Amino acid sequence: MKNEERKNENETGEKNSKELPFEIDRRSVYKCVQCGTCRSVCPVFDAVGWESANTRGRMLIIKSLLEGRPPSEDVLPSLASCTTCGICAAKCPAGANPPEVVEAARAQLVKCGVTTEAQENLKSAVITYGNSFGDTKSRKHWLSETERSKLPEKSEYVYFVGCFDSYRYPEFAKKTFGILQRFGVTLLPDEQCCASPLLRTGFTEDAEKVMKHNLEQIRKVGAHTIITSCAGCYTTLKNNYPEELRVISLPEFLAEHLEELNLKKLDFTVTYHDPCHLGRHNKVYNAPRKVIQAICTLMEMKNIKENARCCGGGGGVRTGYPDISLELARTRLKDVPEGVDYIVTSCPLCVRNLRDAGGDIEVIDIVELVAMAIE
Amino acid sequence: MDITTEIRKIVGDRLSVSPSELYCYSSDASQVKGMPDYVVRPKSTEEVSLIVRLAYENEIPVTARGAGTGLAGGAVPVGGGIVLDMSGMNRILEIDIDNIQVVVEPGVIQDALNDALKPHGFFFPPNPGSSAMCTLGGMIAYNASGMRCVKYGTTRNYVRDLEVVLADGTVIHTGSKMLKSAAGYDLTQLIIGSEGTLGIVTKASLKIVPLPKTRKLVIASFENAEIAGQAVVKTFSNGVIPSACEILDRVSLQVLKRYDPNLVLPSEGDVILFEVDGTESSAREAAEQIMKVCVPLALSMSLAESEKEMADIWAARKLVGAAVSRLDPTKSRIYVGEDVGVPIKQIPELLKRVQEIAEKFDLPAMKYGHIGDGNLHLALFIDVLNKDEWDRLNKAADLVHRTAIELGGTVSSEHGVGAARAEYMKAQWGPALEVMRAIKKTLDPKGILNPGKLGL
Ligand SMILES: Cc1cc2nc3c(=O)[nH]c(=O)nc-3n(C[C@H](O)[C@H](O)[C@H](O)COP(=O)(O)OP(=O)(O)OC[C@H]3O[C@@H](n4cnc5c(N)ncnc54)[C@H](O)[C@@H]3O)c2cc1C
Ligand code: SF4
Ligand code: SF4
Repeated sequence: MKNEERKNENETGEKNSKELPFEIDRRSVYKCVQCGTCRSVCPVFDAVGWESANTRGRMLIIKSLLEGRPPSEDVLPSLASCTTCGICAAKCPAGANPPEVVEAARAQLVKCGVTTEAQENLKSAVITYGNSFGDTKSRKHWLSETERSKLPEKSEYVYFVGCFDSYRYPEFAKKTFGILQRFGVTLLPDEQCCASPLLRTGFTEDAEKVMKHNLEQIRKVGAHTIITSCAGCYTTLKNNYPEELRVISLPEFLAEHLEELNLKKLDFTVTYHDPCHLGRHNKVYNAPRKVIQAICTLMEMKNIKENARCCGGGGGVRTGYPDISLELARTRLKDVPEGVDYIVTSCPLCVRNLRDAGGDIEVIDIVELVAMAIE
Repeated sequence: MDITTEIRKIVGDRLSVSPSELYCYSSDASQVKGMPDYVVRPKSTEEVSLIVRLAYENEIPVTARGAGTGLAGGAVPVGGGIVLDMSGMNRILEIDIDNIQVVVEPGVIQDALNDALKPHGFFFPPNPGSSAMCTLGGMIAYNASGMRCVKYGTTRNYVRDLEVVLADGTVIHTGSKMLKSAAGYDLTQLIIGSEGTLGIVTKASLKIVPLPKTRKLVIASFENAEIAGQAVVKTFSNGVIPSACEILDRVSLQVLKRYDPNLVLPSEGDVILFEVDGTESSAREAAEQIMKVCVPLALSMSLAESEKEMADIWAARKLVGAAVSRLDPTKSRIYVGEDVGVPIKQIPELLKRVQEIAEKFDLPAMKYGHIGDGNLHLALFIDVLNKDEWDRLNKAADLVHRTAIELGGTVSSEHGVGAARAEYMKAQWGPALEVMRAIKKTLDPKGILNPGKLGL
């Protein structure tokens, strides 16, 4: 930063930074010119209706905290209800990145002791049990003793299973690993939660510890590439872990190995839901479509890729505000075109939320589609 | 009487007094600030009427709010009190193609109305840059308009009837479904542009028009903004009325290209976008005529005909004002002095003077706007963390406003007066302001409706 700039920042910002525990990069907040463009896209606002539930409201509240309003629980319904879907950032003419600002603000609120009960429960589950569900089972319970004992100790490729596939959808884990094993992929000896729930909800210090543990595990195995089938794990491993890791999503891996997979054609039509953290946040749009089109007919949803609407599952909203979360999922289902046999997605969190929204069309993970084409 | 309890009796949990919520309603897209005491999200005319009556009896200010995208602080409760967030009353009640009109609640978003009309082959023409988010209630209260105003006019030209809740809670209709009426004062026109100071709009009947068969876009660049302004004046005097006529100076062009690098726009000069619409042959003829007029003045010219190309250019143009920080992340566009207008002939003079003002105060400026109707959007940008730049900005904006009045123009062409431009009303209107004040006093004797606005 130039001296000139620093001087100016002190002129307007010094008092606050000395007296307040709440401090985040001012420029990232002041980038918002309050134009309201995000009102037209924020899915949470759509469901809730109050100004505080849209992006601009969140940015304003964060501004007020920066300018000296004491942080209190009153800000939580706004700041804790952002799914970090990122569609506001994609549309913001001023180039603001609201989900990043919201996450930074959540970290400050955690420091000030302002959190929701759901947030605290999530944190203690991850810290105590290494998974976001507080599940006490072994993370590899879906493998038999023999299978576990045969896992290669060293490999250049690791499948990072994630909490969801480990505990909620072990059948996805089995199918995914079943495919990946053919390519010599192994599992970490002691995988823990990737830290996404901690990072998204502001527990940055606790997240560091979990990430450190996973990194040690990765180094132990000697892997240079991590494959993950969860969009939340993917964005975390890719963007929050050290850069030397190569992280690829399951759809990308599958798309790269289509020929070896020798998939058969299936005579049905599916649509594809872009998970926010795979699509908008990391621009993985084509790989899943390539895989789907190698198997069956793809009919697109009403809003796709950059414009895809959030399923409502991310950012701790599913745990903290289940009603809002499900409302978002129901709205997303309205984007499904007529005449499709399945809704395919590539994130277990999206699978769960969209299934729970209770539509007529079955929601499946991309690995299930691939498994059908292999059988 | 406990006001909170009374309001809750009317709207239940659609009342908020949470400090964070109130804070979110203490500003719009302008720099005006004012904290409400209550925010209410009514669902029906009856609820609005009951709330307003309660406010009237207790002399509590009531400020209506649409999407809060206004650029003059109109929706900001500078006198505290109740904010009525009308955006939840957002149903399209009737699409009556036989009578070529629609009946809407005020919270309907402009784009949502046009999406609903498209399958019928109709549209509601006034389209502000904020059409994706602003409400029809806000547009009516501000007499908003947009890029196609030059041919299609402003919101004012499309309202047939309004249902309005007056200051004491009485509900009236100002018009009817009739195309014309010669009975009595035109209250519809009085309410339009009144910025929520005379009544709260709870329903509107709006005229719609058939979508044109085709549109074409002439993109012409000029050595400087003044010459561009001359080209516009000449186009009109040659009898061509484009459906849109927008100026983008070179800074705006740079911003647009950062916003969407794929846009096909000239790389030099100041640009005018002339849109023409109609049948294939009439649009072609108009486009050719414009190109002929521009030949002696332009550096370059091209014609866009593909829907996608035109749509991309318009989409980017609509949000260019807010996109300045794409050029320099340390700068933000502050909406002050952003909406002046002058008679078309004075446009080249206005452009020149505005540039001089920006230079005098050493502020980077971007000029764009609906030049076809004499409306210039000046975007001054500053580092919001720098106090000195704020001071210079405010001085420059003041001078811009005074210049417009001096040139026989207006301090606001479409964004409204609100609190941001209230101080210029006397200079612009002279004794006519007293007439406005008298009207206000008659309709709102206790002064509860949106106090502190319009210089009343
Ligand atoms: C990026 C950007 C681009 C813009 N481009 C344009 C443009 O091209 N042209 C243009 O004209 N404007 C433009 N605007 C300004 C603004 O969007 C318009 O003035 C719009 O009409 C405001 O609508 P709103 O719903 O946000 O109203 P608000 O800002 O919420 O309110 C505006 C005024 O209307 C009153 N009001 C709202 N609802 C009611 C009601 N039901 N009854 C009575 N009074 C009511 C409020 O009290 C206030 O005085 C732009 C703004 C932005 C941020
Ligand atoms: S779109 Fe961007 S600049 Fe506009 S209000 Fe939202 S966050 Fe702020
Ligand atoms: S990230 Fe999504 S939920 Fe959060 S403010 Fe932006 S649009 Fe709304």
